[in-house]
Amino acid sequence: MTDRPAPTHCPYCALQCAMTLTPTDASGAAAPTDAPPVTVAGRDFPTNRGGLCKKGWTSAELLRAPSRLGAPLVRGADGALHEASWDEALDLVAGRLRDIRERHGADAVGVFGGGGLTNEKAYLLGKFARLALGTSRIDYNGRYCMSSAAAAGNRAFGVDRGLPFPLADLDDAETILLLGTNVAETMPPFIGHLAGAQAAGGLIVVDPRRTATAKLTDDGRGLHVQPAPGTDLPLLLGLAHVVIAERLVDTAYVAERTTGYDAVRRSVAPWWPERVQSVTGVPATTLRRLARRLASGGRTFVLTGRGVEQHVDGTDTATAAINLALLLGLPGRPGSGYGTLTGQGNGQGGREHGQKCDQLPGYRKITDPAARAHVAAVWGVDADDLPGPGVPAIELLASLGRPGGVRALLVHGSNLVVSSPNAGAVRRAVDALDLLVVCDFVLSETAALADVVLPVLQWAEEEGTMTNLEGRVIRRRRALEPPPGARDELRVLHELARRLGSAARFDTDPEAVFEELRLASEGGIADYSGIDYALLDSGAEAYWPYPRGGTGTPRLFADRFAHDDGRARLVAVSPQAAAHPAPGPGEVTLVTGRLLEHYQSGAQTRRVPELLDAQPELRASLHPATAERLGIADGDPVEIANNLGSVHGRARLTADIRPDAVFLPFHYGDDQAANLLTSDAVDPVSSMPEFKTNLVRVTRLVEAGALA
Amino acid sequence: MTAPLRIVLIGYGLVGARFVEELLPDVAAGRITLTVVGGEPVEAYNRVLVAEYAVGNTDLDAMLVGDRSAAESAGARVLLGVAATAIDRDAQVVRCSNGDELPYDRVVLATGARANTPTLDALDRPRRDPDSLRKHTATLVARDDALPGGITALRDLDDARRVLAAVRGRRRIVVLGAGVLGLELALAAAHAGAQVCVVHHGPIPMARNLDRGGGHVLRSALRRAGVTVVAHSRAEAVGYRTEPDGTRRFDLLVTADGKQLRGDLLVLSCGVSPRNELATLAGLRTATGVVVGPDLRSWTDPDVYAIGDCAQVVERTPETAGRRDLPGAPSGLVAPGWRQASWLAAALADEAAARADGDPVPGSRPALPAERDAIVMLKAEHVDVVAVGDVSADPWDDDALSPRRRVAQWADPEHLRYVKMVTEGGVLTGFACVGMPRTAAELTLLYDRGGELPADRSLLLRFDGPDDDPAADADAFAPDATVCWCNGVTVAAIEASHACGNATVECVGRDTRAGTGCGGCRGRIAEILARAAEADGALTA
Repeated sequence: MTDRPAPTHCPYCALQCAMTLTPTDASGAAAPTDAPPVTVAGRDFPTNRGGLCKKGWTSAELLRAPSRLGAPLVRGADGALHEASWDEALDLVAGRLRDIRERHGADAVGVFGGGGLTNEKAYLLGKFARLALGTSRIDYNGRYCMSSAAAAGNRAFGVDRGLPFPLADLDDAETILLLGTNVAETMPPFIGHLAGAQAAGGLIVVDPRRTATAKLTDDGRGLHVQPAPGTDLPLLLGLAHVVIAERLVDTAYVAERTTGYDAVRRSVAPWWPERVQSVTGVPATTLRRLARRLASGGRTFVLTGRGVEQHVDGTDTATAAINLALLLGLPGRPGSGYGTLTGQGNGQGGREHGQKCDQLPGYRKITDPAARAHVAAVWGVDADDLPGPGVPAIELLASLGRPGGVRALLVHGSNLVVSSPNAGAVRRAVDALDLLVVCDFVLSETAALADVVLPVLQWAEEEGTMTNLEGRVIRRRRALEPPPGARDELRVLHELARRLGSAARFDTDPEAVFEELRLASEGGIADYSGIDYALLDSGAEAYWPYPRGGTGTPRLFADRFAHDDGRARLVAVSPQAAAHPAPGPGEVTLVTGRLLEHYQSGAQTRRVPELLDAQPELRASLHPATAERLGIADGDPVEIANNLGSVHGRARLTADIRPDAVFLPFHYGDDQAANLLTSDAVDPVSSMPEFKTNLVRVTRLVEAGALA
Repeated sequence: MTAPLRIVLIGYGLVGARFVEELLPDVAAGRITLTVVGGEPVEAYNRVLVAEYAVGNTDLDAMLVGDRSAAESAGARVLLGVAATAIDRDAQVVRCSNGDELPYDRVVLATGARANTPTLDALDRPRRDPDSLRKHTATLVARDDALPGGITALRDLDDARRVLAAVRGRRRIVVLGAGVLGLELALAAAHAGAQVCVVHHGPIPMARNLDRGGGHVLRSALRRAGVTVVAHSRAEAVGYRTEPDGTRRFDLLVTADGKQLRGDLLVLSCGVSPRNELATLAGLRTATGVVVGPDLRSWTDPDVYAIGDCAQVVERTPETAGRRDLPGAPSGLVAPGWRQASWLAAALADEAAARADGDPVPGSRPALPAERDAIVMLKAEHVDVVAVGDVSADPWDDDALSPRRRVAQWADPEHLRYVKMVTEGGVLTGFACVGMPRTAAELTLLYDRGGELPADRSLLLRFDGPDDDPAADADAFAPDATVCWCNGVTVAAIEASHACGNATVECVGRDTRAGTGCGGCRGRIAEILARAAEADGALTA
């Protein structure tokens, strides 16, 4: 094919900003040899309206970066990684997999996927695990992102589509409650959709940090509420309490469209505002004002992010946010609603088509006999041949190298030794594997530990589909030929399946894979059967569910929710005292999160010079008062430690954080990896780990030879 | 299988309801038989909100916490509107006003407290000594004091309805007592349009919780909220008027210094006392409340427990056993009662499980830690008061007994703001905070966590100041201020671009990417360019 301008979308977050990639050669100009092979331009699309953030503008830098892998790597007898041919590498992997499977059973082979994979890759990876490997042991890094919101959404609405409405619906809102999300840094073009609420003085940001997003509420444009870390759930119960006590409930809506009101009413009765104040640090008066604003009857949205979801009680916290929205009658009301902001590029599609341990394509349950029969028919196998449910990510990782656990792990689109909680334990567990195979296009921290590294394509080199944070399916398009040593993951899976002797079909053409995905998802919750590449290429807006012969669904819940009786569930939740221990003397609460310049584990963005220059190393945000107590000055080297591990960085003093907390971005590797300090305790419903309220101590590091 | 453990709970308020809720799994599993006796004929409700209800701010529905149907479907028996009149410890039976006799293995008292009736001329005040209780069981046990028309306490729903009628009628309400409950009612009623007068003795309101400075600021705040405050006044008598139907009704309150305060309703807010009478009649040790050990068991009878506002937790030692007066009166706050309810439910569940399995009774679980002083918060919308601990010390006090105690204070009576922080070795042991909600909320967290205060205590004051908004003191045109969030472009970068000849928003965008994300900062970029152009002009002029 010829290289020509390709209308596609950004490789990074779930906003999936539209961009046009123009091959530099095609422009006719003699480009310098170290220039990226394509130029990036913003393209008009409802989510980004032509704009891009710093990550998007610089995304092409990585395409021909020297750090790009050009050939498979195999660990030699000397312990180092050496280049190998594709046949050598694939033969080796297939042989070892067969051997491990024969000796330890199919479940000794595990697969770890990612929320950045296209729908086609995510779908085929799930099929590969179940059919070619015959293993139940598959899960993915979305367990660390969307699992709590997904569980809460499924429980309340019977369906989990991050935003059940187009993003542009926010433009006309008068009030938007953002809970634990820092969109100004994580998906900056999003903030254009907040302008209406800002103009109405109704942007409300709940975050223990005074983030860039919180600052959007300044100058009368809204309100920043700054609860202590780990107290979101009582805060939300307090808001529901005020709504009920002050008779602000949309009683007709609650009566007609929900069940469970009495239990929720009883469960929030003990959370009067003053009690909530004593737990959260948010004044009772603020709570009342906030509840009244939310109930003022205008166009109102409640949106959650990882800040409230990445907790051991994340599902219940998201549920409390949904309860609040339901009490106010927001979901399904035109111009209002509840949503969760999906983070990873294909975090939505990636959680629908079989990467989750308990799931089959179309958001089907692997334990549901009808779902198994449907998918088995599409795959041409007997339903009994499909493995049962596996185990969620943390449990899967904990089993690595253990008796009865996973001995060989295939990793696709994830840098799990940086992004997993208790990363030190994960590194040790990975060392105990018999075989680690990583598909990536750079030598990430995880790839560096692998026995075999398989170099794959980048977004500009491939075709496929993504499902953005609105549940809208969009096309990723190829702008240039991949480098000769790299291969598409679809082809990698095809080749491995063939070598493993699988009779199942593993297409290498993305469109053919999508056609199969359509069939597999047909009739499921996330039904893609009415969508094809031609439809997407026509520019049609394709929101799922989009059944065959039907139309898409930009807005869910207008008439009914997805439970059999059509009603949403109000589910009573209450905080467990032990969930978020408060910091003791000398301790602060570690809040992890993100920076504008980096994406996820930073494997990509730390290799883009402009982004790395702006944020080259771990900075620990500390309140000046806390720093003074600890004898730490701005820029000092510090150690942040707890019983799980320690990390090193430099102090950044800012009044934007509460004095009882420290903020670390989790984008860095090695001894700067914040997740060395996070616990692998998980939410009982979603198996989401706790990323936001671990306790740590911060000390100044005296550099060797320096005068104390 | 052995017979299930029979538990009778007397009292179904906030604490009793929590006890029931936590015990239900064991009731459903058949290991425990639970009977609940509640005196009020309604589902358990949140008494903390009674003042809100009394001024019409909320409905009973929103206050309900008990789930009778859940309890009943788990197999519990719930008797509401029924009074327990006697505990026959020999027969191990609880007798009820409806004639029921409930056999028990364990009985749990969660009877709470009743409002005190002060000693006033022309107001009957029943005594509840053992003799009187035996003689007038029907009127004294599980009954509130009967008060004449126009006089009420504020404890239960009937009280609240009397107050509500006065509030709705915009009547004159006299509140006797300036404790936290009396003030909450006074403020809510004044806000709802009633005429309210608070009468108290001593110089300041909330004298148990506040120091002089805090009290004075609070008094000013009360007055500004429309509440009349009559300090230094010991109430002595009530006077009545006779209604057309011949009944007598409250007319005025007379104070020791001769003031006559007329009103339509007198609300007595003079503290509460534990409802001890069942225990007293049953011969159980009582002091202020029913005396129980840290395991919540009666000193007198190991089959009897008490939790919540009726329980006085005192460790039995040779020293305490010999004393008539005992320390450790109930806090009157709900959080300690909830902790007791949860702890006791778990302990009894352990016992029932062991019994069902035929195992020996398990060793006792670790006792509840002693409660710290509880934080008192005034629940009112326009006056914010939070206090805890001993705040009587002054910054200049030099107390040889407390060499590490330090006191910091801020007083701004004109703007109704006051805070005092008392620390020991940097850790907060008490504070009083009026009119500074953010500061109060942060101090509450610090107190609860035993955290050290920042060396610069004024940091805590600034939460409520306009400069708390870091944006307000940040210079929007400072060189390192971020203008374009999408691309992380600062003022300095835009000025540098301008200096290189990029004079329009579009040119700057191509050069620096500022404004090429969401576009929300384009206006500010234009401002920066305009300022830069102006500065250029000034230089060349």
